[in-house]
Amino acid sequence: MPTDNKRVRGPEVSQNPSLFRCKPAEAVPLHGPRADGRQRDQVDVRPVFVRCGLVSQAKGSAYIEAGNTKLMCCVYGPKETERKDETDMKCGRLTTDMRFAPFSCLERGSWIQGSQDKDFSLMLQESLQPALCLHKYPRSQVEVNVVVLENSGSVLAHAITCASLALADAGIEMYDLVLGCSIRQDGDSYVVDPSYMEENNSSSVSSENQGGLTVAFLPSLNQISGLQSDGAMTEETLTAGVRTCTEGCYKLYPVIQQALAKAVRKGAPPPSES
Amino acid sequence: MATVQVSEAEKVYILHGIRDDLRVDGRGCEDYRHMEIETDMVSNTDGSAKVTLGHTAVLVGVKAEIGKPRPMLPNEGYLEFFVDCSANATPEFEGRGGEELGTELSNTLYKVFNNKHSLDLKSLCISRGEHCWVLYVDVLLLQCDGNLYDAISIAIKAALFNTKIPKVHISADEEGRKEIELSDDPYDCMRINVENVPCVVTLCKVGHRHVVDATLQEKACSVASLIISVTHKGTVTCTRKVGGGSLDPESIFEMTEAGKRVGKALHAPLMALLQQEEAQGKRRQKVGFLS
Repeated sequence: MPTDNKRVRGPEVSQNPSLFRCKPAEAVPLHGPRADGRQRDQVDVRPVFVRCGLVSQAKGSAYIEAGNTKLMCCVYGPKETERKDETDMKCGRLTTDMRFAPFSCLERGSWIQGSQDKDFSLMLQESLQPALCLHKYPRSQVEVNVVVLENSGSVLAHAITCASLALADAGIEMYDLVLGCSIRQDGDSYVVDPSYMEENNSSSVSSENQGGLTVAFLPSLNQISGLQSDGAMTEETLTAGVRTCTEGCYKLYPVIQQALAKAVRKGAPPPSES
Repeated sequence: MATVQVSEAEKVYILHGIRDDLRVDGRGCEDYRHMEIETDMVSNTDGSAKVTLGHTAVLVGVKAEIGKPRPMLPNEGYLEFFVDCSANATPEFEGRGGEELGTELSNTLYKVFNNKHSLDLKSLCISRGEHCWVLYVDVLLLQCDGNLYDAISIAIKAALFNTKIPKVHISADEEGRKEIELSDDPYDCMRINVENVPCVVTLCKVGHRHVVDATLQEKACSVASLIISVTHKGTVTCTRKVGGGSLDPESIFEMTEAGKRVGKALHAPLMALLQQEEAQGKRRQKVGFLS
């Protein structure tokens, strides 16, 4: 077990006070309205706030806020690769790293990358790789670092969107922006872009269809670059869920495009007086 | 994943063959290679299984230990997966080389079993909030020739079927503390119901068609694959796209349908085979690792 000697850690056995709660946390009613006023069974994504170019040291960066979920992403590169093998000679390499800040979730996490973080990093890499023109950067490496500041549901989907925005801000050549969208299926109804409570709240009735699905989509090319689902769902539900997620991505596309155009205009030199 | 180098001419050959539903070794696009399954080969475990799928060989050992249940789920036991890519499989896995692949495989296994229906975790509880059975499922890759997910999931299902958990009962001793007693009879044990344990099917997209059970050469020609885990009823518990390419939504729908069909068809013969092997009892000739 790797130990972290740099930080002062609390006592060995410390627990979250919510475990000692007398009455169980209120379960979100299955077919009732959603807590933040959005609709069930409709492609109702949270309004997003995106900004590019926050971190001046990084080649490209982006910050996204959707409801209470806050993430930021920095892109460094293209820079020289450390390892050189044959594939590196022909095209570039993409490395991703996704971390959760310890204060981001309801329960304190650790700074050391757990297996869930590694899993997300791998998913992020698989989703972004098809969109990048890596053959234009032989012998180089592009590094994408995502930090989740607050986890309020559908973190992976927003991380994908944020990372592709940061890559575009860094000027890395891409075929298209990659957008992420996720849904949570509960019995017969689904919720798009679930919040943390909706994601982790499994209804007491063990219905047949229960699970979550995250899709990474390239809107202009109509290609799915990332897909991940868990839980137990029928194949029809899964297919319908993928369609819903792609619709959600189409809804998000104009917002992201506008944010990117704004950042480019801001960064461009003022028109010369002639 | 361990890779092989494939020349352009070989790629074209494989692609054209698959387009006409004929793979290099003569199989159809949805046929599996020759599969051999054997259980109960490692005597120190509570359950074990070895699966050989073509040239891929996977050994799974299940050990049951008594532990403390998770705080949020006090009346359920749980499973812990660990996948070890041994350096025997390919020299790439020497040292820490296989760690990345091992983490990816175990993370996917956690997702596959992350639902209420696959295993009855409540039956693994001994006393609420204090003791429960923790099943440590350890997977060892002996040989790697493509299609690791499928072989591992079949081996896990066989190993869990073979697992014999000793029966315990709790007694309170003089001071009121709980004491756990294992029954003396080695045959007095609890079996796990593996009816709903899913099997994973990997579909590789090669050209415009998809293939099941791809060899390493076929994998080198594909840009992306879809992993789908299916139960015997046809419920999908986990899907995941792997690989550095992108897929058309239409292909994804086609592939999930094919995956569900192939996966569903896998369960019945597997359970029949496992029950047949179990029924042979002491008369069974152990093949072991010699073949």
